[in-house]
Amino acid sequence: MTDAQEFETFMRNYQDMVFSTAMRLLANQAEAQDVSQDVFLKAYERFGELRESKTAGGWLKTVATNLCLNHLSRYRSRWSFFSDLVGRGREEGDETEIEFPASDDVEADLARSERREIVEHALQTLPPTQRVPLVLFHMEGLQYDEIAAKLGVSMGKVKTDIFRAREALRRKLRLKLGEEELAGAV
Amino acid sequence: MNENQNPRLEAAIDRELKALPNLRAPQTLLPRVMALIEQRVAVPWYRRAWQSWPMPLQAVSMLVLLAAFGGLCFGSWQLMHAPAVASATTEAGGWFKLLNGALNTLGVLANALALAVKSLGPMVLGGIVLAVLAGYAACIGFGTLYVRLAFARR
Repeated sequence: MTDAQEFETFMRNYQDMVFSTAMRLLANQAEAQDVSQDVFLKAYERFGELRESKTAGGWLKTVATNLCLNHLSRYRSRWSFFSDLVGRGREEGDETEIEFPASDDVEADLARSERREIVEHALQTLPPTQRVPLVLFHMEGLQYDEIAAKLGVSMGKVKTDIFRAREALRRKLRLKLGEEELAGAV
Repeated sequence: MNENQNPRLEAAIDRELKALPNLRAPQTLLPRVMALIEQRVAVPWYRRAWQSWPMPLQAVSMLVLLAAFGGLCFGSWQLMHAPAVASATTEAGGWFKLLNGALNTLGVLANALALAVKSLGPMVLGGIVLAVLAGYAACIGFGTLYVRLAFARR
């Protein structure tokens, strides 16, 4: 098997994981695809080490996360400028959503895949200031201080943003899935 | 606000998020990456970034660079101590004398200008400064007006 073929197999094994990481942090398919491409180009440069490595998955995930954060920080001034406005807007939007009839009509036995789609969609509609720390905390397993260091913000802000993100997600999911679906967390 | 964290909500969100499966990567991702890799491979090594050169070439290029730097240092040292250089230095000193003379002349001219400005008095100087500022403001004003007129929406 040639190097290229081996790399193709390697990429097939990890492309979904890398793309998911990027997609959940960036919430934009085109950008997530660009970042995934960069991750695999970097991986190709180090394929000699990675092909045998048992930690290749972790390496790819870390690189994907860092590239996504770099990508976001490139637009940070615009991002932070809009984040408060958008955040407020979205929170207000959430309030409006709650005014719709509650989840009485929603079927209790939603198919698993459908449920995951709903969670995925709810996650991707969070503003980046909330989504990014939430994903880093729950999905990447980072601690508050690590997230604060990575994002260059205070730990208090990270905690507040994650708190707001959970609340926003709760509202969105309660609306879609029903009260009991969130295991009484509401 | 942090004191109000809801552990049950945290656990529920954690469970929901961790249960999410990987998203499927777009089908175009793999061909895109492989095409870029092929392009890179097709580029000869000397046109790629130094970091991506083969290891032996990196080592050789590093040795060549070190040898060149060492040679340059040794050559410079030899040159500085060569007898022929002393006469060249004297000749170069003549050039510097010329340059020094020109600098002196410029210094005298600058002093004369400073004296002339001092003799004008504060009122005249203030007037000149005001005129310059007014000219500057007029340039900005007319420029803005021109841009507005030129790019006005019809």
